[in-house]
Amino acid sequence: MLKTTISPIFSSFTGKPKASRLIFQACKAVLEDTPPSARRNASTNLTMLHQGPPTSAYVHLPFCRKRCHYCDFPILALGSSSSSSNLYEEGKEDDPRITNYVNLVVREIKATRAGFDTKPNLETVFFGGGTPSLVPPKLVALILDTLSLDFGLSPDAEISMEMDPGTFGAQKLKELMDLGVNRVSLGVQAFQDELLKACGRAHGVSQVYEAIEFVKKCGVENWSMDLISSLPHQTLEMWEESLRLAIESQPNHVSVYDLQVEQGTKFGNVYTPGQSPLPSETQSAEFYKTASSMLRGAGYDHYEVSSYAKDGFKCKHNLIYWKNKPFYAFGLGSASYVGGLRFSRPRRLKEYTNYVTDLENGAANWCGNGNVDLKDVATDIVMLSFRTSKGLELKEFGEAFGREVVNSICKVYEPYVESGHIVCLDDMRREVMSDEFKTLIANDEMKIEDHVRYLRLRDPDGFLLSNELISLAFGVISP
Amino acid sequence: MAMASAMDLSPPTFFLSGTSSSSSLRRLSSISVSSFRRHSTRRLQLLCQATAGTQPQSGLSESGSKLAARSGQDRLLKVPISKIRNFSIIAHIDHGKSTLADKLLQVTGTVQNRDMKEQFLDNMDLERERGITIKLQAARMRYVYEDTPYCLNLIDTPGHVDFSYEVSRSLAACEGALLVVDASQGVEAQTLANVYLALENNLEIIPVVNKIDLPGAEPEQVIREIEEVIGLDCSNAILCSAKEGIGITEILDAIVQRIPPPRDTAENPLRALIFDSYYDPYRGVIVYFRVIDGKVKKGDRIFFMASGKDYFADEIGVLSPNQIQVDELYAGEVGYISASIRSVADARVGDTITNYGRKAESSLPGYEEATPMVFCGLFPVDADQFPDLRDALEKLQLNDAALKFEPETSSAMGFGFRCGFLGLLHMEIVQTMCSNPSLLPQPGQRKSVEEPYVKIELLTPKEFIGALMELAQDRRGEFKEMKYIAENRASILYELPLAEMVGDFFDQLKSRTKGYASMEYSVIGYRESDLIKLDILINAELVEPLSTIVHRDKAYSVGRALTQKLKELIPRQMFKVPIQACIGTKVIASEALSAIRKDVLAKCYGGDISRKKKLLKKQAAGKKRMKAIGRVDVPQEAFMAVLKLEREVL
Repeated sequence: MLKTTISPIFSSFTGKPKASRLIFQACKAVLEDTPPSARRNASTNLTMLHQGPPTSAYVHLPFCRKRCHYCDFPILALGSSSSSSNLYEEGKEDDPRITNYVNLVVREIKATRAGFDTKPNLETVFFGGGTPSLVPPKLVALILDTLSLDFGLSPDAEISMEMDPGTFGAQKLKELMDLGVNRVSLGVQAFQDELLKACGRAHGVSQVYEAIEFVKKCGVENWSMDLISSLPHQTLEMWEESLRLAIESQPNHVSVYDLQVEQGTKFGNVYTPGQSPLPSETQSAEFYKTASSMLRGAGYDHYEVSSYAKDGFKCKHNLIYWKNKPFYAFGLGSASYVGGLRFSRPRRLKEYTNYVTDLENGAANWCGNGNVDLKDVATDIVMLSFRTSKGLELKEFGEAFGREVVNSICKVYEPYVESGHIVCLDDMRREVMSDEFKTLIANDEMKIEDHVRYLRLRDPDGFLLSNELISLAFGVISP
Repeated sequence: MAMASAMDLSPPTFFLSGTSSSSSLRRLSSISVSSFRRHSTRRLQLLCQATAGTQPQSGLSESGSKLAARSGQDRLLKVPISKIRNFSIIAHIDHGKSTLADKLLQVTGTVQNRDMKEQFLDNMDLERERGITIKLQAARMRYVYEDTPYCLNLIDTPGHVDFSYEVSRSLAACEGALLVVDASQGVEAQTLANVYLALENNLEIIPVVNKIDLPGAEPEQVIREIEEVIGLDCSNAILCSAKEGIGITEILDAIVQRIPPPRDTAENPLRALIFDSYYDPYRGVIVYFRVIDGKVKKGDRIFFMASGKDYFADEIGVLSPNQIQVDELYAGEVGYISASIRSVADARVGDTITNYGRKAESSLPGYEEATPMVFCGLFPVDADQFPDLRDALEKLQLNDAALKFEPETSSAMGFGFRCGFLGLLHMEIVQTMCSNPSLLPQPGQRKSVEEPYVKIELLTPKEFIGALMELAQDRRGEFKEMKYIAENRASILYELPLAEMVGDFFDQLKSRTKGYASMEYSVIGYRESDLIKLDILINAELVEPLSTIVHRDKAYSVGRALTQKLKELIPRQMFKVPIQACIGTKVIASEALSAIRKDVLAKCYGGDISRKKKLLKKQAAGKKRMKAIGRVDVPQEAFMAVLKLEREVL
């Protein structure tokens, strides 16, 4: 029944001529077709679909000393020889592989002509990797200068960089900060040497402490620590120790990732999830719950499935992703979201090089091809919103995609509201109890979103089953 | 379509004299041209026979087959009723019926070598694929014996036990039958059943021992077995190898000599027996029949005596083996009618065709209404496909009068159909013997429960007697009789519930006897039985499609097996799910599915959400393939596997 009730609204979207490349047109076409009452919501629609020019940029710096055993990102391993001499100091000869790559990225940025009417400054820039801290500051400067020239860089922009222990010293960090980098994401992963070694990290615990020291010494106020749970041979005691030591180092932000065993990685070849030496599913769930309770106990807000922040230190750049807002992306294998279209750059250096050349010649397109499928937008929004503690905002969602979808989603979630996996909140973010929610659903006269403004996954039980729960909504949106 | 096939069979040179553009006229002229050649053909045919007589193992010479082929062109010519022979072939699967039929068509020139597809009579793809004959057909052949042309009609019979009614109607259309027995295998149960049907219809039976060329052939012993088991005089049994072409002319001669001609009742009112029909999407139902009395002409208004429907015969013709139009068929002849008949139910096998203007006084005996014995619920995975399923079933029904279905609603499965089938092969996949287990009244509200019983006859080499008796005993079989039909082979008679035979009984029979035993069954009626309804509860919700009716003695083992299997097949959910088997409110077996503890992607993936999304979409698609039973998603495979399991356990 659910399927049939929502299909009409979607078919009115998808039935539009697919020629409209950008979602502006798609939306316009839809709106022309909808009754005047719906047209009043035009602005909301556009806000929901975020079709302005991006104010965020992701820059991929893929260099690593070596590939970690769990990693399936597009990286370029430099080997230990180039970095062994003196990683902490500047002035040594630059690795030509890095220089060439950065030049390529600069060319890509320059070749990207957005053509938006307005040109708002970039508010966030994120250097991800790989290990961006392996890139000499003067090359980072080159990229930032290019971004600033081509797009403009807001003076109080959040400029984040992923950094690994053992790849930077105080001097390098200072130089980076002088360039404008003002947020550090430190890849600690674990506080046990045996675990770091077992997952192929290029650093040990002593370098972790050193790195924390550099960060503090340089006065980086906004810094985050990354940890990974469910590593092979990890015990609950080790995990609690890592969390305790993390809290003691007082980062303003902590990211807790759960090990994902990916195909094609070393772990993927030798381990099976849930089987020794990896923790069982039950243990793994326990790790997640422990992180949630310890970090929240220490004053962090669990604002996204794997992110915790002290007040005022949420990662602005990541929030752009989760709010389904547009962002540029530059560099090997990076994914952008502009004009409603997601586009991933080639993951191999040779193809990426060709891509940049094509871009300069006008032979390639930097934002991807295809049409904006509104069902895709709706599923993106559901999937991203439910990752956050804010959850899915029903009013806006209903205005953009139809109230029927909201009703259907609520119906499919009803048992999980009852079981406590999903939390309903009113517009004051007070919890709406499951009995009341049930009554609201049963009553066709009432607009659910007038009483329940947000749906969110409960922390930690709902978050732990987020794939299951989100895929239920997917089933409703695109049956 | 008939036109096209007719053209295929006649060499184009014969059409040269044709002046009209109408195909049917051209065909008439082709017949007159070909009849010129009849005399020479006949002489050479005799020659050919002589050759075959002296050197039977050599089969047909190249020139001989060419000449026979020319003779085959004359097969539309009318012969007096006294020169018609109608026969069928009774044989066990694999005993060589199709090969023999092919050979007969080839030797009589009905089918030319170049058109010869292997096993011509099994012309449905499905049949060829499975090597069994479901749809019977007919072939008209011309054979010249002692200078006299004869018209031989081979009427094929389906080989499977489900179709004993159809077999009996085919046999009723004949005066004789070839009983083909494999020289190395001996008489099998199914053959026996069909021979009895033939004897009931007063058919002249010609015993033929096939595959005498095989190393393991023991023709003398097989002949003795036929004499002892069936009581047929085998003094003039024919030894042959259809594959090698040995003994084929002897068989043709014997058909002419020993099978009586049809009675000459051409002047009586029309009575034609329908022995098969099928639905053609362009022409409506095509009916195959044997004229018993009277004659039928193209354009006649015909009347089906059982269904009470009347139609105009747009087209009549013979099967040779393709459809070839003719103007008239009279008593003794076999052919087809196309009359824009809408559904096979209007012209069912066994029905009598008569002339609307000059109706026969009584219909031919032996007509039976189809009564489904096996039922199943059929539900679309996606509720949206319900109309498609209905259309598909309606189309099937056009071609299968025995298929019955009615709409059914199930809380778990949504809208679907309950379908009734004649027998096991007919349905092939699913079982449930009560028309619908959920309709079985509660114990307090019923006096007694009865279930259909069958009588089965097993024929087996004696070393497997013990194994088969054990099997039958396990299936609640009641021993009736055992006798030795030959020194080494026994016949065992049991009566057991149909439900016990549905499923893997036949497979078990084959595997326990290394394939040597054979069986035959017939439904003998209903008997009171201690049956109970076994319900399955998933998360405390009754899942109707999984309810079964079992004998009380088997309830526990079935319940345990079902709950265990379901635990394996149902994916874990976000909560603990109890799975129970119950009789009424009493839980007799119980398992529990533990809850999923963690299913989250807490990975650093930056803005690249494409892979994660793909994963979630896959997960959503997986859920879509499942049926929601309350809050539990149950995959389709669970229903299928459980049905299979029931068969294994029951």
